[in-house]
Amino acid sequence: MSTNLIDTYVYEVGRRLPRKMRSDIEAEIRSVLQDMLEERSQKTGKPVDEEMTLEILKNYGAPDKVAANYLGDRYLVGPRLFPTFLLVLRIVLTVIGVLAAIGLGIALYQTTLSPANALHTTLKAFGYFFTSAFTALGNIVIIFAILEWALYRAGDKPEIQGQPKEKEWDPRSLTKVSSPNRVKMGETILEIVGSFVAIVLFNFYPQIIGFTPSLNGLVESGNWAVGFSNLNFVPLFSEAFFRFMPYLTIVWVLTILLDIVLLRLGYWKAWTRIASICLKIISIIIAAGMLGVPSLLAVTTTSLTTALGDANAARILMNLLNQVVRIGLWISIIGNGIEIIQAVTRLVKNNLIPQFAGRN
Amino acid sequence: MTNESLENVTLELRRGVIVLAVLSRLEQEQYGYSLIKNLADNGLEIDQGTLYPLLRRLEGQGLLKSSWRVETDRPRRYYLLSAEGRTLLPRLKEEWIGIVSMMEKML
Repeated sequence: MSTNLIDTYVYEVGRRLPRKMRSDIEAEIRSVLQDMLEERSQKTGKPVDEEMTLEILKNYGAPDKVAANYLGDRYLVGPRLFPTFLLVLRIVLTVIGVLAAIGLGIALYQTTLSPANALHTTLKAFGYFFTSAFTALGNIVIIFAILEWALYRAGDKPEIQGQPKEKEWDPRSLTKVSSPNRVKMGETILEIVGSFVAIVLFNFYPQIIGFTPSLNGLVESGNWAVGFSNLNFVPLFSEAFFRFMPYLTIVWVLTILLDIVLLRLGYWKAWTRIASICLKIISIIIAAGMLGVPSLLAVTTTSLTTALGDANAARILMNLLNQVVRIGLWISIIGNGIEIIQAVTRLVKNNLIPQFAGRN
Repeated sequence: MTNESLENVTLELRRGVIVLAVLSRLEQEQYGYSLIKNLADNGLEIDQGTLYPLLRRLEGQGLLKSSWRVETDRPRRYYLLSAEGRTLLPRLKEEWIGIVSMMEKML
């Protein structure tokens, strides 16, 4: 009976341990328990019985506690990764929230509004947000758990002699970060959200950038992503415009990656400034290329005349639309140009005249 | 509450000492249970659940080596300081003496 108890106890500890170390630890615990029983038996002058075994096992501790002592602290997402985990989670949830809000806004604007309809649409939008948020949360946790496991495995190996140690932290690096070099969290997150929305909108739902008689079909479908693709939109932008899309998408993706790095670092380094300048130069080249295209719009005066029933109004609207597109592109070029000048100035001051770094 | 705090701090103090105590006892080969008794005879009571995982960790760090041997009617795992452990122990002792004299000055 006492042997059975020890067997069960050892099994209970062993099943909580990784296979690799299980048999070794099981053998050791068994050996120790037998030593303890033998000594207790000698001290008391009684033979080993069930009561004595129970007492020894109680003294040794609950199986889960004993197994936990061998395993040490283990995390799904540990302290090293937790700040990054929170950051990524915040960004992704914000993106999902913005997408859901845009979807709800469009749906409410286009629906024939009765209180019941509005409530129905709003509830569906909330349902979409929570489902997407939980799915995203699950996926992010899985990715970080895999990262944590990889880090745990890497750290598990004994230190190899002669290997260079982790780079020492220099407190003097604190003084190098002056306020203009700090990354502005709000602006950066907004840029990530904007770039993400642009990537999704222009690449996956380009047909919705245009005019539509009604979004009722979308609201009825309950799923705005599927619903959008089923609706008949009159496209706003021409094929010539969409030819620029691969280049714009690359810029947006790189912008998101750079922003994530910046949020993680917390301040601008020379290489991040250079990367940002390069992205802005590419954006200017793309915008200039777009200016050279005769018609970025798919709508024409003729199609607008048919839609509006007034040739004069159609002509004025068409002119206005063309002007808006051109002005928009010029604003983008000038804005990016100003930002490039600011970034180059900062780069020069920080690296060539470091004494000015803290003053600007 | 005060007793609980006292217990927690004492536990932390002892935890720091255990590694040095264990290493100092393993200049001669010992199996787990004999080591526990040896430490207890010297006044340091260690929980079984703390000692064996610690021995594995120290072995993983290369400070100890172990081997299974069958004695009387059952196998026992014997632990002994490794070459690296033997080099480290005198330096740890020096550290300890330094800590004791520093604390004596402070208290």
